[in-house]
Order: sequence, then C-alpha cells, then structure tokens
Amino acid sequence: MGVTLDSLWLGFSVALQPAVLWYAFLGCLVGTLVGVLPGIGPLAGISILLPITFGLNATNAIVMLAGIYYGSQYGGSTTSILLRIPGEASSVMTCIDGNAMARKGRAGAALCIAAVGSWIAGTFGVIVLTLVAPPLATIALKFGPPEYTALLVLGLVFLAYMSTTSLSRTLLMAAFGLLLGTIGIDPLSGHFRYSFDIPELGDGIGIVPVAVGLFGLGEILATPSHQVTGEVIRPKLRELWPNRQEWRDSGWPIARGTVLGFLIGIIPGSAHIISSFLSYAVEKKISKHPEEFGQGAVAGVAGPESANNAASTGAFVPMLALGIPTGPVTAVLMAALMIHGVPPGPSLVNDHPEVFWGFVASMYVGNVMLLALNLPLVGIFVHLLRIPYAYLYPLIIMFCVIGVYEVAHSIVDVWIMLIMGVVGYALKKFSFDPAPLVLGLVIAPIFEMSLRQSLIMSDGNWLIFLQRPIAFVLMIVCAGLLAMSAFSAFMARRDWRAQMAEEVKE
Amino acid sequence: MRSHFSFGSLRSDHIAGAFFIVFGIIVFALSGDLPFGSLSSPGAGMMPKLLLVLMIVFGIALLFGAAASQPFAGIEWSDGSHALMVVVIAGIAITLYQTLGFILTMTLLVFTLLIVVERKPVLNAAAYSIGLTMIAWWVFGKALKSPLETGILGF
Repeated sequence: MGVTLDSLWLGFSVALQPAVLWYAFLGCLVGTLVGVLPGIGPLAGISILLPITFGLNATNAIVMLAGIYYGSQYGGSTTSILLRIPGEASSVMTCIDGNAMARKGRAGAALCIAAVGSWIAGTFGVIVLTLVAPPLATIALKFGPPEYTALLVLGLVFLAYMSTTSLSRTLLMAAFGLLLGTIGIDPLSGHFRYSFDIPELGDGIGIVPVAVGLFGLGEILATPSHQVTGEVIRPKLRELWPNRQEWRDSGWPIARGTVLGFLIGIIPGSAHIISSFLSYAVEKKISKHPEEFGQGAVAGVAGPESANNAASTGAFVPMLALGIPTGPVTAVLMAALMIHGVPPGPSLVNDHPEVFWGFVASMYVGNVMLLALNLPLVGIFVHLLRIPYAYLYPLIIMFCVIGVYEVAHSIVDVWIMLIMGVVGYALKKFSFDPAPLVLGLVIAPIFEMSLRQSLIMSDGNWLIFLQRPIAFVLMIVCAGLLAMSAFSAFMARRDWRAQMAEEVKE
Repeated sequence: MRSHFSFGSLRSDHIAGAFFIVFGIIVFALSGDLPFGSLSSPGAGMMPKLLLVLMIVFGIALLFGAAASQPFAGIEWSDGSHALMVVVIAGIAITLYQTLGFILTMTLLVFTLLIVVERKPVLNAAAYSIGLTMIAWWVFGKALKSPLETGILGF
C-alpha cells in the first residue's frame, strides 16, 4: 500500500505539471464535445485527433486521448437528456428516462445526477485501477500464450453472451473482424495474405479507418438530416440541483452502476455500452416501481450513467496491466502509446512509471475537471446542439478524412474508411452490431500469435488450454457462458437481452 | 408440385446468412496458396481458413434461424439515396485529395454535400464550406502542426 501511495505521489507530481493539466483539460473538453455532438463517438474523436498527438510526449498524448474517452461518457448524457438522441452509443439508455425527466421540467436535475454519478463512478474506477493494475501486471508476467489465448476467447464469448443480438450474429461479426485482422504479412512466416498486390495492405488493415468508417461514416450514411429534428430542452441553471427525493433515489443506483460498470469494463467487449444496458435492466428489475421506468425514473439515469463511466475506467485495467485492448477505443490508445515508444503491458508500471502513474493521477484530476465543465457550461453545450445536423455532418466527414489520412498518410486507408462506412450502413440495416467486428480486428494479431505459439509449444495438442490452471479456469468460464446462452435460447426465446433490445428499439 | 417460396417470405437473415456463406466460400477459394501447415506447425493459412469455416457455419445458423428475423421487404431504405449521394461525393473527394490538396478538396466536399444532398442556398454553402475548411486548415495545419496534403497547386 505504501509503495502504491508513493507511486501515486509520483503520478500527481507529473499530472499537476501545467502542460499535463492543459492536455487533460483539452482532452476533457474535446471529449465532452465529442459526447455531446451526435454522430461522432469517442472512437472517431480519438482516431481523428490521434495524429495531433504525434508531436507530444507519451504522457501528454495518453492523458489527452484518455480525457477524450471518459469525457465523452459525460458529454453523451447531455444530448440524451435534452434531445433524446444518444450523443454516443453508451448513452442510449439515458435517453429513455433522462429525456422523460427533462419533459417533466427536471432536465437540470437529470443532468446533475448524470454528472455526479459519472464523477463518483469515474473516481471509484480510478481508485480501483490504482490498487488493482500494478498487482495484476505482476501476475500477468506469468501469462504465457495459452493463457492469453484463453483470455481473448473469454472476451469474445463474454461479448457474445452479453450482446443484445443473437450469439451466432455476434460471433459471426467477431469472426469477420478476426478475418480482417489476418490481412497483411503473416508475422511468423512472412506470407502475404489477401493483400491483392496493394503494398499498403501488407501492413494489414488499421483499426482507425475501420472504426471511423463503421461508427462515424456508417452512422452518417444512415442518418439523413431530415430525420434529426429533435427539440432541444434548455435547462435553467437554478434548476440544476436535484431535490432530496431525487438524491435519495439516485444513491443506490449510482453505487450499483459503479461496481457493475467497473467489473464489466475489465472484460473485453464494448464494455461501456453493455454496462449501461445491463445497469438499466438491473435497476428496472429490482425497482419497487418498475412502471416508472420510461416515465422519468431517476434510477434509469443514475445507474446507466455511472455504469458507463466506471466501465470506461475499468477498461484501462487490462490495457495497462496486460497489454490487452478491451475494445476499439483502448486499442487506439494502445496504438498511441506504442507510437511514442511506450509498449503497454505488464512491464509498463516498472519501465515507464512516470507515464503509468502520471496517467492514473491525471484521471483523478480529469474527473474533477469534467464535473466542473459539465454543469456550469451546459448552456454552451445546448447552443452547440442547435447547429443544424445538415451543416454538422459535412464537418464530421471532413474530420473523418483528416483523421484517417493523417495517421499514415495513406489514401488506401481513406478508401478503407469509405468501404467500412458502407459496410457499417449495411450492417445496421440487417441488425448486426459492428462492435464485435472491431474487437475481432483489434485482438486478431495477439490472438493469432498466441494461438499459434500455444500449438507450437504443445506440439499440436489442443489440450494445452486445459492443462494449464489459469487457461483451464478461463476455458471453463467460456464453456459456462456458452451453455447458459444456449440454455436461455432453448428455454425461452425472449430472454432479458432480447427484452432489452426491444426496449431500446421502442 | 407448387413451390411455397415467394420473395415476400424472404427474411433479412436469409439474405445475411446467404451473403456470409457465399463470401466465406469465395474467400476460401482465394486462400488456396496460403499453407495451412500442421497443428504442431501452423501455417499462414490456418487462422484465416478456420475463421472462414466459422463464418460459413454461423451463416448457416443465421439461415436456419431466419424465420425470427424481420421480413426483408420490411427493411427501411428511405435513407438509401442520402447514403448513396454521400458515398459518391466522398469517393470523388478521396480520388482528388492527393491531387488537389486539403483546402480545395475539403471546400468542394463540404460545398457539394450542402448543395447536392442538403439543397442549401449557394451563398450559405459557399461561405460555410470556405470558412470551415480555413478554420480546419489553421487548427490542424498551423496550430497543431499536422502536415496536411498540399496537392499540385501547392496549398
């Protein structure tokens, strides 16, 4: 504990330097804007701004990019509550009761509860991250290829289990993403795979063009401007403070959402999205008045908003401690670290303590900044929401092109982004979730390498995944999740995930 | 014997499942030169081929469960023309990007989107597209020192 406090002290000495504070503030501000503006999520925001961090040192770069990530979770609630359009995917559930509260004249209270819940969850997440990541990194040093393979399989299975679409659809998307991840030169044999004599494809397909295409451009293609005609509710500053009953109603949902979100955040998948869905389902399930959900239930705002913030912090645990991305956003953050010569993973804490602890400490500061930003400046964000969508999306397309092109100055990447935009549009039409595709692409290199190394180690014996204790436990959990999924599909065609999907559609 | 098949009974998962099966088979055929290797010494083709088999299996699963999916005719395509126009305009912009450079391409991209897709007044569209591009050029190119494409005209 003493060592952790000493290290945290080192972190604060880094995080409180004026330059780091400035980049944390910039990240939080841009993140809030990214969250507020519909059609541009944290992934697109981070990807677009990745090239501008090339001139910064590793600490400033990661502090700013992480600020965009958790800042967007705060900002997303503003659009959901005031416009009933999710600013980003994890705010979908907040639309339901947040906007209902706003229509009852409690917009300010809903925004305040969302911001305070986010702050509590974010801060809790950072405290647990501070305590958990270093010892986990020590354990992870004992991980070999079979353990990494089993962990990644668990991530995919967990994502499939939690998904609101069917198991086969999710795994199909993950397989598609993994297949895209095999494009390029095979690192073990040097074979070119599916590069079709295009030199740029030799390095494989980047995460940024795929993610920006699927989540940025794909969203724009499916959203003609005449469909975005939401009425913005403008809260008054004096209405921002919730009443005593609202505070009381939000206490336990914030606590539950925080713990649930953090735990889900640790596991690979679109944690911040899944966590808010699950938190909403839990709150509705245990509420004494489930009929109030959809009509402006405080718990329907407090729980999901806390959960998505805790999850976004939890996602940093495997990224920093194991070097495993839990989703596309953490994959881009990992790429940013690697660009700056700082490989994330178990050795990060010891090899680059100033980066690791500076980053952790900056998140304490960033969460306070976000609380200060989101409440008093809500009026400014409301003005932003009044920019007609017809003028907004050309700007987003421009940013998508700049962001993708500037990463590697490759026009092929921009074409990939456009193709992925069309793919994202088609997937939306056929009710596929693109998140497993991106996760598959992200983990493909690690997954393939660890799988092949495991097989080489065992002389081709698949039982290696059952002969090593950690891998065995992870595989048993996978089998349990698959069995539970198959059982629920067999026993009742409409289980809780299907019901949640229905609620979102409504 | 009369067939009970009609296009009206097609479900979205029939199309999606069939697509992924055909896609898997085509890519598998293209993977002929990739060595599978052996389990003790996996080759470059092992992972892609396993994944393609999985994709085909999941595609078949989609076909079998297709009855529960939405009718194909029920998929809303009213945004299709908007999507097509945006894709075509963006595609032209990408083709011209390295030739015309950042300022010209982006100005034309935004202007064309506003005029062709959104039917905005020409003056508004021109002012907005020029202003926006210049702000983006200054922010990215000057303030953040990101090397933007200059093109044959030198800017």
